[in-house]
Amino acid sequence: MPSYDHYVILGNGPAGNNAASFLRENDKDAKITIISDENIPFYYKPGLTRYVTGDLAVSDLLVESLPSYRERNIRLRLGQIVDKIDPEQKIVFLRHKENVHYTKLVIASGSRARVLPSMRGYAQCLKHITTYNEVMEFKDQIQAANDFFIFGGDLVGFKFIKMLGSMGKKVTLLIYPNAFWPFTLTHEMQTTIASNLEKSGVEIIVGDDIHRIIEKENAYVVKTVKGMEKKVDMVFSFNGMIPSVDFAKGCGLDIDRGILVNETMQTNVPDIYACGSCAQIYNPDINSYTTSIGWPNAVVQGEVTAMNLLGDHKVIESAGRKYFDLEGVKIKTTWWEDIEESSSI
Amino acid sequence: MKDINIVIEMCGSAGEGTISAGEILSRFMSAQGYEIMSFDSYPAEIRGFGKCVAHTRISSDPIYSPGKLADVLIALNDNHSISQLSALKNQGILIYDSQPARPHEEDKSVLGWVDPGIITYGIPLTMLAHRAAGSARGRNMVALGAIAAIFHMDKAGFTQSIEDRYSKKKKIVIDSNVNSFLEGFEWATKHIEKIDSFSFEGVTMPLQDEKLIINGNQLVARAALDANLKFYAGYPITPATKIMEILSKELPRHGGILLQTEDEIAAIGAVVGAGFGGIRAMTATSGPGFALMTEFTGLSVMAEVPAVIINSQRGGPSTGIPTKTEQSDFNAALSGGTGDCPRVVLAPTDTYSCYQAIVLALYLAEKYQTLVVVLLDFFLSNSIRNIDTPEKPSESLLNANIAPQPEELENYQRYKITETGISPRTIPGTPGGIFFSTGLEHDEYGRPNYSDKGHLKMTEKRFKKHGAVLSEAPAPQISEFDGETADIGVISWGSSAGAAREAVMLARKEGISAASFSSMMLSPFPEKELIGFSDKCKKLLVPELNFGGQFANFATHIIKRPLERLNFITGRPMASEDILEKMREM
Repeated sequence: MPSYDHYVILGNGPAGNNAASFLRENDKDAKITIISDENIPFYYKPGLTRYVTGDLAVSDLLVESLPSYRERNIRLRLGQIVDKIDPEQKIVFLRHKENVHYTKLVIASGSRARVLPSMRGYAQCLKHITTYNEVMEFKDQIQAANDFFIFGGDLVGFKFIKMLGSMGKKVTLLIYPNAFWPFTLTHEMQTTIASNLEKSGVEIIVGDDIHRIIEKENAYVVKTVKGMEKKVDMVFSFNGMIPSVDFAKGCGLDIDRGILVNETMQTNVPDIYACGSCAQIYNPDINSYTTSIGWPNAVVQGEVTAMNLLGDHKVIESAGRKYFDLEGVKIKTTWWEDIEESSSI
Repeated sequence: MKDINIVIEMCGSAGEGTISAGEILSRFMSAQGYEIMSFDSYPAEIRGFGKCVAHTRISSDPIYSPGKLADVLIALNDNHSISQLSALKNQGILIYDSQPARPHEEDKSVLGWVDPGIITYGIPLTMLAHRAAGSARGRNMVALGAIAAIFHMDKAGFTQSIEDRYSKKKKIVIDSNVNSFLEGFEWATKHIEKIDSFSFEGVTMPLQDEKLIINGNQLVARAALDANLKFYAGYPITPATKIMEILSKELPRHGGILLQTEDEIAAIGAVVGAGFGGIRAMTATSGPGFALMTEFTGLSVMAEVPAVIINSQRGGPSTGIPTKTEQSDFNAALSGGTGDCPRVVLAPTDTYSCYQAIVLALYLAEKYQTLVVVLLDFFLSNSIRNIDTPEKPSESLLNANIAPQPEELENYQRYKITETGISPRTIPGTPGGIFFSTGLEHDEYGRPNYSDKGHLKMTEKRFKKHGAVLSEAPAPQISEFDGETADIGVISWGSSAGAAREAVMLARKEGISAASFSSMMLSPFPEKELIGFSDKCKKLLVPELNFGGQFANFATHIIKRPLERLNFITGRPMASEDILEKMREM
């Protein structure tokens, strides 16, 4: 029997694309639309650090090409910003004044760089490596720049530091214990990481904080609370990610940091699901909601979401999916356990 | 010196001022000294709100084709512009209304269909038009203002062009349009962060003589008047109607008569009648009308009566696609009708040569007492160029009838066998010049004669004219060869010739050895020149806008060797880009 469902997926990352692929494989007749504010088809976001430093070409980043969407009859809307959702009428309002009607909505909008409250006054000076659109703006500057100031850390940040090192750039890192938000690095972890990085020529600052950043003659002067002053070409902030869900606020969805979903990825609003790093998933073991990071987690969540959209009742697994080796410290990404638990290190 | 080559398309709904905005852009750019080539496409239906596209190519260098894809698409109407996105280059620029009066329904927003790579500039067209003139009507002018700012066009000159365009209207109309333009200009200057590379700033055009901004149909009418046309009969049909429309006003002022007939059969009948009466007469039509005229075309040839038919081709057969261009009436023009029916067929290759073709057609028809068909097409009829004003025809071209000498009137043979096939012709009323004229086969006096020898003699006579016609025909346009030979020779006709010429020029820049050949004269055809050309080319290519390769089939019989074909029936004019791509493959 033909289906007349219109699955609208907000987000073009691994969760959204995996959900779309699974839906298409199992529902040939449905209309499937992916909406993304980025102007590039599905790409491998973890490769951005290598792309921005010139180690990868844009073609190396692409996971899916535009024709592959057309072949699978998936409507891909790129560079389109969602303003709000109306769950009553089942409409997604796009910034360019177009209304998209859905029967089932999947929010897989991912996450964006977290800017610490104390840094918001200097937000215009900070650069992040979270999206292709962002890095396109400063990719060329990186080649020309010599001195980099990085504060925070996190997984992407450490990868970036490594890439800068290989390019012979000078890097200063002000390490924050909570750069892995929502996780916090222990003192022991920080010490290990700092020691390993110093060996590779990175100047490490621990136990200090940013006081001011002043933009001066195409450069930046970073002043710390303890009085250190550094003139650099570019300043980067790597303090973890926060779910990108502003457009969903006020529409009736339960939102904490991310969109709250149950174990089947369903929100409190009928026919709306959320998955990937924009979602906070309920864990009955701890009776709370946790967010997840990482590509493999997003892939699994996208698939589980699609299964449940098609009428299944699949519960998301509670096991971690990948270990990161961070300068000698092994970190398991998980949406269930706290990073400080021994099993995660 | 900095140069520029840009194709700008404006897409809207009928009634939104799309075509007039395109015209203003063309005129302004021409006044600035740029080469322009533009054409419009619009719905076939007289009523309704169909899609209109004004396509304008602007260049600081000579151009020969309109450009296949647009660099800039201005979307006045989102719904219509969605399908036009396929004609926008991958890295092109989309200008759209960022604040429409109400939100678009799903899939009805042009921005919703944009692929990565396209640069988008959102301009609140509706809002600014309201602010400037109190209604949304001025959105087209707001859009022009926006592109003028984005591409650094001369604001004062552009404003002047708008004032000129509406100079015969009330002041309020002029002010509304100018204010809308300025509103768009100021807004874009202030708000658009330019990320494209197109700019007219620093492109200094040499001062040129004033150009004539004109399309093929307008030039046809002008040429006909200059060439002493005294009678026009016709029935309106797209894309030829404009010729009749202009002549309906101008012909009476030039001492002529225009007759709108009940159909095309009556029109050609009247033209043949007027030709018989000794005055220059013509009609203009398109495929369906040309089909109806077939019987009278035979009469014109058989009775040796001058008649000129302009056939502006459109998509066919039958009613076909009235507002799309095609070159699919080649066979019908050369051999439509019954019997062995030699006629002259001319096909101008660009706007300028439309003038030459009409002057020549009226001259040849009169001198050789035969049918002359001029093949235009939708694109040639409607595309606007800025050209040098053509020189008026010489006196010898204006009065070409070969009258009998007084001694010939003593035993007057209207269909006398002569060296050239031309029999001296008396105009009705000439003392002693009475003759029979009939569609039946006849003898030298015009009396019916069905003998095999008589039929052969008269058929040979009618065909004999071809040799003489060819001696007066303009020489084919053959590009210079790089050396003795070329790897690829491109043979073209009609409106595709410009694209072919441009493709050859581009190919040469890429190191491809190539040359081009085109002939305005299709029947009789300069066969010797074509054979000479093809002998110097290793491979041959014939691009044309029909499915079956009508001209290619014709050319094959002349050159007696295989050739490559490139055929499109997309309704769009031939693009040099397509020909070049094919040449690369060869």
